[in-house]
Amino acid sequence: MTRHAITATALANCLGTDNKAVFDNAFAGHEAFVPGSTYCELPFPTSLGIMPATKAEPGLVPTRIATVASASIRQLVPGVRAAIERWGADRIAYVFASSTGGLDNSERALTPFPEDPKLPYQYANHWIDASSIAIARYLGVTGIRMALSTACSSSFKALASAIRLIDQGLADAAVVGSADTLCRTTIFGFHSLGLLAPTPTRPFSRERCGITLGEGSAYALVERDAKQSALAWILGMGAASDAHHHTSPHPDGIGPIRCMRQALEQAAIGPDRIDYVSAHGTATPANDSVEAAAVRRMFERRVPITATKSLTGHTLGSAGLTALILAIESLKRQQITPSLRASPLDESLDVTVVGEARKARIEHVLVNAFGFGGSNASVVVAS
Amino acid sequence: MIRFSVLDVSFFSTHYASAADLLAGNEREPTQPAYALLVGRARRFTSLLTQLHIEVCGALAPEGKEDQLAVFATSHGEIQTAEAMIKGIRQRTVSGARFALSVHNTASGLHSVATGNHAPTTTVTGKNAVAAGWLEAALTALANERTVLLSIADEPVPDLFQADAAKFGVAAAFLLGPRNAGGRAAELAIAPGADADIEPAPVLARAIDSWTGTSHDAIDLGPIQPGKRLSLRFAERS
Repeated sequence: MTRHAITATALANCLGTDNKAVFDNAFAGHEAFVPGSTYCELPFPTSLGIMPATKAEPGLVPTRIATVASASIRQLVPGVRAAIERWGADRIAYVFASSTGGLDNSERALTPFPEDPKLPYQYANHWIDASSIAIARYLGVTGIRMALSTACSSSFKALASAIRLIDQGLADAAVVGSADTLCRTTIFGFHSLGLLAPTPTRPFSRERCGITLGEGSAYALVERDAKQSALAWILGMGAASDAHHHTSPHPDGIGPIRCMRQALEQAAIGPDRIDYVSAHGTATPANDSVEAAAVRRMFERRVPITATKSLTGHTLGSAGLTALILAIESLKRQQITPSLRASPLDESLDVTVVGEARKARIEHVLVNAFGFGGSNASVVVAS
Repeated sequence: MIRFSVLDVSFFSTHYASAADLLAGNEREPTQPAYALLVGRARRFTSLLTQLHIEVCGALAPEGKEDQLAVFATSHGEIQTAEAMIKGIRQRTVSGARFALSVHNTASGLHSVATGNHAPTTTVTGKNAVAAGWLEAALTALANERTVLLSIADEPVPDLFQADAAKFGVAAAFLLGPRNAGGRAAELAIAPGADADIEPAPVLARAIDSWTGTSHDAIDLGPIQPGKRLSLRFAERS
């Protein structure tokens, strides 16, 4: 794989509805989670990452996921316009990823709780790609359009597909987008699996007890080449399947090790060149334990680790791209995002967790995104 | 033009015994897939969609099972599981097992576990899942110069969702390879056309029928970008 430029990014989540707010709050270690009862009445305690209020862009379907995506896409317009100048609108693909798509809209419209307002319903809004046509039109891109959904690795799979379109000559650039909203199904579902934290999530802590769910969108513009305007470069990507269990990680970390190794091989750099790892870091006992062991085995040193889900919550399909964009900002600031609430650290994991934002010389970051189905993906990004 | 090979195919429908029967409208008694690749606990709670994918994937004999690249495609995803979860929300509860199997990549995950396959898989979805699935699989085969298992399936959408969709389950799997890898030479072409969506079942049946027969007519796979459609054509048998 040749390297690919990231020329524009956009984030929106519980830390804010634009990059500046998200970045400033992330590097400041801002606590943004709220009680789960803020979202809906719940028979168990949990925290959630709820995005501040914002409006959907005109022309988009009136759903929460379109609103969450809107906060990102409006930030992307200048970058996409410049890319259209460079390549032409029909050479820019739109590749979208989500885990839940319009599920929130369907459950609220079809089986409303007593406190819910009456919502209009269209099945078309349930689809993962319900907003894709409208968003591509809004951005003015008319290239190949596709959507992917592989649970919490979705946005990295979309990035891989976009890069494949570029490498195979079917596009010169691609808008890679992802969005996921909170919905009752995921809150109750993760709780039933015993994976939902009652208190704000604590990746790699001895007292970790699971996931804090969040909503958000993450978008990146990836281009074949753009030396003048590159924010960062994708040097390598890796992907692998655990082939072990649908929801539990392989105890030997086979999938994570394979995909991290493949990403480093594609990047043509050794593990010693990675300045920190942005972990998947869901804070479930098993996930963090397996990921920590895989990182130890891969790096053979205590490479610094951070877990951005402690800041944003677990944004499901958007999680990988969210962490990647925060890593790109860390390359710019030469500062690692903090991993909140890691103390007291689980010493048995034998990893160095970045508990507070800290200055560092950063040239290469490895970002992980793992998901149900044993779906693992890693990306190496560089300045 | 994207040129590649299709080495093998398989087809299953709950209501049609073969692709030819589907095209001819010859229905059979509704039949469930055997999905024999899944055994024991792995069979529990699986949806018809997952069973369909597993059925057609199991009917092929992918080379190198432990390292078989795979692309799964589904327009609606685990829509019957979604219905069960949405109904469960009324009682403010969701089954953990059901929730775990609700993600679009459930079938690809269970298939990788069943076959011990550590290679990456992905799941393409959305309104143009058939076209995008073919494109993703062909590009993956060419980029890696290896075979890629492409499985496309959908289960009926429950009435709750008020969808205009097929009332039967259908699945087709194709083993793609790079150019000159054997089987039948194939090509994907992108050409101007209207943005109208396709009906996936007959399109999948036509692809199967074309591969197994002698046809080399172009098969319209549907929109792939605004104002452009993707088509599949098999070369004449040599």
